[in-house]
Amino acid sequence: MAIDWPTRAAEVLNDEPLVIKNDKFWYHIHSYGGWGKFFQGLRAKKLLATRCTNPKCAEKRLWLPPRAECPDCWHDMEWVEAPQVGTIYTHSTVTYPGELFRLAPGTPLISVEIEGVCTKLMSWLKDGKPAFGMKVKAVFNTAKPTNTILDLAWVPA
Amino acid sequence: MIRFGPGNLRIPKFAKPVYVVAGGLTDYRKKYPEKNTCQLCTEGLRMAVEENDLKVDPEQFRRMVNWAVYSQFADHFGDQLLAAAKIHDYLGFDPLGNVEIKTGGATGGSAVLAAAQAIASGYANCVPVVGWERMDEVTTKVGNSYIAAAACKDFESELGWMYAAYYALMAQRYQYENSVPHETLAKIAVKNRLHAYYSPFAQNPGKYTVEDVLKNEIVSDPLTFLECCVMSVGAAVLILADEETAHKLTDKPVRLAAICGGSHTLRTADRRNMPILLLPNETEATYKEYFQGRRHEWPGFSSFLAARMAAYLAYNMAGIKDPVEDFDVLETHDAFTISDVQTYEDIGLRPYGRGHEFIDSGDAYFDGRLPTNLSGGLIGTMHAVGATGVFQLVELLWQLQGKYDKFHGDPKMWTRYGKKKPADWKSLQVKNPKRGCAISHAGTGSHVTCAIMEKP
Repeated sequence: MAIDWPTRAAEVLNDEPLVIKNDKFWYHIHSYGGWGKFFQGLRAKKLLATRCTNPKCAEKRLWLPPRAECPDCWHDMEWVEAPQVGTIYTHSTVTYPGELFRLAPGTPLISVEIEGVCTKLMSWLKDGKPAFGMKVKAVFNTAKPTNTILDLAWVPA
Repeated sequence: MIRFGPGNLRIPKFAKPVYVVAGGLTDYRKKYPEKNTCQLCTEGLRMAVEENDLKVDPEQFRRMVNWAVYSQFADHFGDQLLAAAKIHDYLGFDPLGNVEIKTGGATGGSAVLAAAQAIASGYANCVPVVGWERMDEVTTKVGNSYIAAAACKDFESELGWMYAAYYALMAQRYQYENSVPHETLAKIAVKNRLHAYYSPFAQNPGKYTVEDVLKNEIVSDPLTFLECCVMSVGAAVLILADEETAHKLTDKPVRLAAICGGSHTLRTADRRNMPILLLPNETEATYKEYFQGRRHEWPGFSSFLAARMAAYLAYNMAGIKDPVEDFDVLETHDAFTISDVQTYEDIGLRPYGRGHEFIDSGDAYFDGRLPTNLSGGLIGTMHAVGATGVFQLVELLWQLQGKYDKFHGDPKMWTRYGKKKPADWKSLQVKNPKRGCAISHAGTGSHVTCAIMEKP
C-alpha cells in the first residue's frame, strides 16, 4: 500500500531564493508552581508578597514579586499582604509593543515603590498620566481575570 | 544589601596565556534568505581562516582545532534546537567536542569567555568561537516578543512584550536622577551610524543629524527608533589559541589579557542596593556628592551592577588603572543610547552621574581619547545577538592588528556584499593602538562580560 503525500502544503513566500512558511498553532502551558498563590490573590483583591521565616536569616525582606524560597538562605517563605498604595519610581509609555501584548498601545508602564517592600514592582497605570513620585493605589481585574500580572494595575491615589 | 564574602571578589587568573589570532564576519542584514545559517557560519569561518594572513592553509588549520564553542541567543529565532550540532558538522569539525553557550545579549562575550577558559586551563589549544543569529523568520513584532521572552515571563514580559520598554523605564529613572540632555544621547546614535557608514558589514549606516534622532518616532518614551539597536541576520567567528599555537598561526597574535563576567537580576525590580563597588580609578571621595550623597541607593535602575562587576574583575586581572588612559579603542554594547551612557559609568570612563561627559568631551569619537564603537556598534552595524559579542572582538582584533582598512576599505569587500564603497569613505584605523576593551551585555543587565585584548 502506497502512503499518500502530505495534504497540508507549506505556502511558498518566495521562489528565488526559496522561502516557505511553516505554520505553527499550539498553546504553551504556564506552570506558576509555588508563585500561583500571588495570581489567585489578585482575584481576591489581595497583593500577596513573601517574607523569609528562617529566624537565622539576615535580611527578612518583603519580596514582591514573591519568591517561594528565600534568595538569602533558600528557606521557605510565608505569604504576607503588602500595602495597596505606592509611588511611581519610573514610567514609560510604550508606543510600539511586541506581539502578544494584551493592552492598548500607549499604555503607561510604571515601576511602583511600596513601603516595606524591597522591590520596585513593574506594572501599568490604568488611569491618569504617570509622573515621578505620584501616589497610586492598586486596582484588580476581578471580573474576567487573565491570571497574569496584568490583573494588577494602579490608578492615582 | 549585597555583601561580598572573601571568595566572591577573587580576581580570575588564566593558568596559561590566551591569544586571539583571527576573526571573520559576514555582512549583516535585516533579511538574508539567500544564505542559511550553516552557510553564514561557514562564511565567517572562511574569512577568519583564509583572509587573516594565517601561516597555515585551511586544511592544516582544521587539523589543529581541538574544541569549538558555539554562540546563539535564541532557539526561538532559529527554530532549530541543537543548531550547534548541525553547524559543527557543516564546518567539518566532527567528531571534536563542542559546547553551545547561551547568556542572552552577552552570549558572544560568554562564548569567548568559555573558549578562553578552555585554552587557559590547557584543555584545548586551538578553539574557534562561532556566533550567529537568524532574526528574519518572524515579523519584527513577533521578534520583539521573542526577545521579551528573555524578561521574566511570570511578572514582567506581559508588560509590553518589548525590551525597549524595559530599558525605557530605566532610561526615565536615569534621566530623573541625572538630567542628561536628549541631544547628548542622540549624538551616540549619530556617531555609531556614521561609523557604520564606513563599514561594508553594516546594516543600518547613515549620516544623520542630532535633529533627525530627536524628531524620530518614539518606541517607548524617551527612546526613539534611531536610538535602538537593529535586529539582524549574520555570523561572526573568532579563533583563540594558546601561545605556542598562536605563533604557529600568525605573526600578529593579540593577547586576551582578561575576560570576566558579572550578573544581576533578570527583573530590574528585584535589584537590591549596596555601596558602589569601586574601580581602580575611583575612591570613596569620588562619590561623596553622588546623587545627593545617596551612594547607598546604588545601583537602582540607573546602573548595571553586572557591568561594574565584570569591569572590576577584568581591570584587576589585566592591571588596568584608568580605562580612558589605558585603552586605545573600545566596543560597547550600545543596544540603546541611554544604556550606553549607563555603561560608560559602570566601566569607569566617568564617575556615576557623569557618563554623558564621555560623549560631550569628545572622548568617545574617532579623534578623541578613547574612540568607541568604531565598528558601528549595535545601533549602526548589527545585533545578530549570538554573533554580537564575537563581532565586537573581531573588530577590536583588527584594530589592534592594524587591519581596519584591509577589512573595511577594500572596494572588493563592499562589492562582495552587493554594496559600493562610499566616495567619501574614511579610515577609522586608530594609530598604533595597544589595548582595547569590549563589553558584551544581556537582558536589562543580567549578564555582562568585559574583555581586554592587548598587543604582546
